Amino acid sequence: MTTIEAIKKQSRGDKPIEPLIFEKHVAGVIGVDFPPLDVSETEVPEGVAGGSTTLPSFGQHDVMAHYTHLSDRNFSVDGNFYPLGSCTMKHNPRINEWGAALPGFACLHPLQDDDTIQGALRLLYETRTMLEEIAGLHEVSLQPAAGAHGEFTALKVIRAYFADHGQPNRTVVLAADTAHGTNPASCTMCGASVETVRTVNGQTDLEHLKEVIAIIGAENIAAFMITNPSTAGLFDANIKEIADIVHEAGAKLYLDGANMNALLGRVRPGDFGADAMHYNTHKTFSTPHGGGGPGSGPIAVTEELAPYLPIPQVMMADDGSFYLDRSRDKTIGKVRSFICQFGVLVRCWSYISACGPKGLRNVSETAVLNANYLAAKLCTTYSMPFFDPKNGKFCAHEFVTVPQTLLDKGVTLIDIAKRMIDYGVHPPTMHWPMHDCLMVEPTETESKQALDSFVDVMLQIAEEISSEIELVQQSPLESDIARADEVAAARKPILTFK
Amino acid sequence: MDYTQLNITQRQEMYDTVGIRSIDELFDAIPSEIRCDDGLDLMPALSELELQRSMAEMASHNHGAHDMSCFMGCGAYDHFYPALIDQLISRGEFLTSYTPYQAEASQGSLQAFFEFQTQIARLTGLDIANASLYDGATAVAEAALLAINTTRRKEVLVASTMHPEYIAVLRTVLSDLDIKITMLDATDGVISRATVEAKMSDAVAGVIVQSPNIWGQIEDWDGCFEEAHSVPKTAGIAVFNPIACGMLKTPGACGADIAAGEGQPLGNALNLGGPYLGLLSAKEAYTRKMPGRLVGMTNDEEGRRVFCLTLQTREQHIRGAKATSNVCTNQGLMALRATMFMTTLGSDGIKEMATQSWHKAHYLAKEIAKLEGWEMKYNGDFFNECTFTCPCDVTKVVEFCKSRGVLPGVAAAGRRMQGLSTGDELIIAVTEKRTKYEMDALVALLSEVSA
Repeated sequence: MTTIEAIKKQSRGDKPIEPLIFEKHVAGVIGVDFPPLDVSETEVPEGVAGGSTTLPSFGQHDVMAHYTHLSDRNFSVDGNFYPLGSCTMKHNPRINEWGAALPGFACLHPLQDDDTIQGALRLLYETRTMLEEIAGLHEVSLQPAAGAHGEFTALKVIRAYFADHGQPNRTVVLAADTAHGTNPASCTMCGASVETVRTVNGQTDLEHLKEVIAIIGAENIAAFMITNPSTAGLFDANIKEIADIVHEAGAKLYLDGANMNALLGRVRPGDFGADAMHYNTHKTFSTPHGGGGPGSGPIAVTEELAPYLPIPQVMMADDGSFYLDRSRDKTIGKVRSFICQFGVLVRCWSYISACGPKGLRNVSETAVLNANYLAAKLCTTYSMPFFDPKNGKFCAHEFVTVPQTLLDKGVTLIDIAKRMIDYGVHPPTMHWPMHDCLMVEPTETESKQALDSFVDVMLQIAEEISSEIELVQQSPLESDIARADEVAAARKPILTFK
Repeated sequence: MDYTQLNITQRQEMYDTVGIRSIDELFDAIPSEIRCDDGLDLMPALSELELQRSMAEMASHNHGAHDMSCFMGCGAYDHFYPALIDQLISRGEFLTSYTPYQAEASQGSLQAFFEFQTQIARLTGLDIANASLYDGATAVAEAALLAINTTRRKEVLVASTMHPEYIAVLRTVLSDLDIKITMLDATDGVISRATVEAKMSDAVAGVIVQSPNIWGQIEDWDGCFEEAHSVPKTAGIAVFNPIACGMLKTPGACGADIAAGEGQPLGNALNLGGPYLGLLSAKEAYTRKMPGRLVGMTNDEEGRRVFCLTLQTREQHIRGAKATSNVCTNQGLMALRATMFMTTLGSDGIKEMATQSWHKAHYLAKEIAKLEGWEMKYNGDFFNECTFTCPCDVTKVVEFCKSRGVLPGVAAAGRRMQGLSTGDELIIAVTEKRTKYEMDALVALLSEVSA
């Protein structure tokens, strides 16, 4: 077979399959060079010297080509409408990247003395205080590396608080049946057990909450983890009552801040009774998702929980200088190495500073408006269990659709999602928080034109289901690969190239 | 600028479509008494030009590896990386994509992560690797949990010579889980196999040893893990430096079952400690208990070789409380930097980097040892980092060098080192980036300050 024939066989559409780096290896060629050694050599003793590793290499131009070709095979916020519910795929401003790459930020060693990193500490201190104000809570720790890590850290703080107050038996954490999977998983990591609280119409079932507390015993409960707006994309109108019930039980209210994009400048979690929360800067504050990370998950807590926060904490001294403080007797200790996701927090500072207080409020208002606009345009074709604007039932920054009438025509939810790929739209979150649902979060940074063309795509797919159903069933037809066999991948996992 | 894109006319059209007269109607579900209608107490918005000024100004108040001569290590190293990494990583198709749950829209990220997993497994000499964790410290904690969950045992043996922050994080993570941490005391700066032997029992899930350790010393992984294996199923957990793997014996070659490490040296900037890159690699038997994302090779419906996330039933979004870990967001972009770095350098380039670091560190150590009163604390083998006991107050040494534009190393008694020492040890790291000129200048400064 000639090369051209091989490429034709492999590729679909106009994007050729990129060989693996292991298949491109050229012995003896590498992509960069080194200066000659300028000191005398010291022999490596036989006991410690290793054999050769088997990492492939090739020339620099082909390195560029390899990753350029791979990048061509990715959907992204830059290139595609990306309405992933609960993930807040908003625009990632490049001024943030510019700032984080400044050598005065990027080239700092994490163990340097405070007097050499005053600018960095000032940025962290300002970020800390801004996040405290947005949360309406007493103190923020910037240490957690991501949202789930923030949950873990805050739960440790809550457990330490109770242990210190003679209530070590408070080891049960309540979570909604629609909670993010990280909530219960974080509880397990903290040695806490999880009890589920029912939701009705996307909101916490108050009676069930009381019932669960009564069954488990108020004295055994550490916290209730709630997401507000809920994962169904609705503001919990009973949030104040929920906080009262939780506090009456002597427990703490934990806010999963994944949906803060709907609250910015409108509601402060501390004001509705949250005792602790985490942010996801990669959702709310525009730091890039990077194909799965890095994130950053600062937590905010009340004054009574603050003594237990991890160390070090960034502080401002009386003379206006900044320092890292380790003197916190009751701290839970450290949850990661060094200080925080500094480079991510530079971007976060840049974003919050760009928006300012009015801009942040406009962010949440526009995010909510965009979601309601899409929902209003689509709700007659794509059924929405919680959306009924004529009766004052709106969604927050995202909405759930269970397109039952379309599914009844003989397609699956996955068929619809994969057909969206053909139209250059990244599929929304699927099958969560309800079975057979799509959860759509457009974010505030989409233009009206982008929203309207998404509506056109969704209506077109609905039309195709009526007229040419096999187009949808066989999709994606336009993407560079057909559907991946995920079942086979899991049955006999191949995780490395051999 | 808040980066929204609607004008007033468009907003009005959208209000009409939704059937509202004002935006406030959309927030009616929020009780009025908890609304924040006075606005947030934050500084007013800055324009992009002002942001540039502000950030440049703050950055100018920092001094580090960009404008000083950096001999600091202890878990973060000032290594060289090729310019192409910053260029490639800023491609929006990588930077602004999400976790590749939709294989058909994410082959780029998926193939890169698959290549990354293979490179890390080859570097550690083990079978598999995941697609990254937060950092070295959390990777060590996850490695311990992997051993604990696999064996269902309740004790881990931990080298006291491991990075003190890794030990601190391990303590935090294991503290509410009813797991006993038994510290292994050092003899001459390393853990002897006899020490492991003395503490081994059938309650031990894993033996954790870092090499090179916090003092820079190379540990006897072979001996320690052989003792670990005196009890069936106990995991030998190697905490490794990926650059060292380019020339020293790999974790796999030394009998490790699991390897955890900090991937920052692989093409990631110092970034004041984050974002970094947690590496976790293991023997195949651990596959189904691994934490974090895994990318697998499979076929599409037309028989083409493709990649997808796999074994997701281990993960929190499917398994909830019974997941192997709570980790969701990982360090994808840092892993991408690392794989670009490893592809550009290959085995030969990483070996060159490791070898130059070795020779330079040994050159510097020999020169410092010639100075009056400067003693190497330990005499075992080291890689790119070694420890000296200063003949004077270590703080004085650090302050003096700083005033001359040099970061001479990490003081072991520093307040960030978790009480590692109360003495005057200075831990000095040398990468391929340091020149003979810089090293000779450091030696001159040390000589001057201790005279």
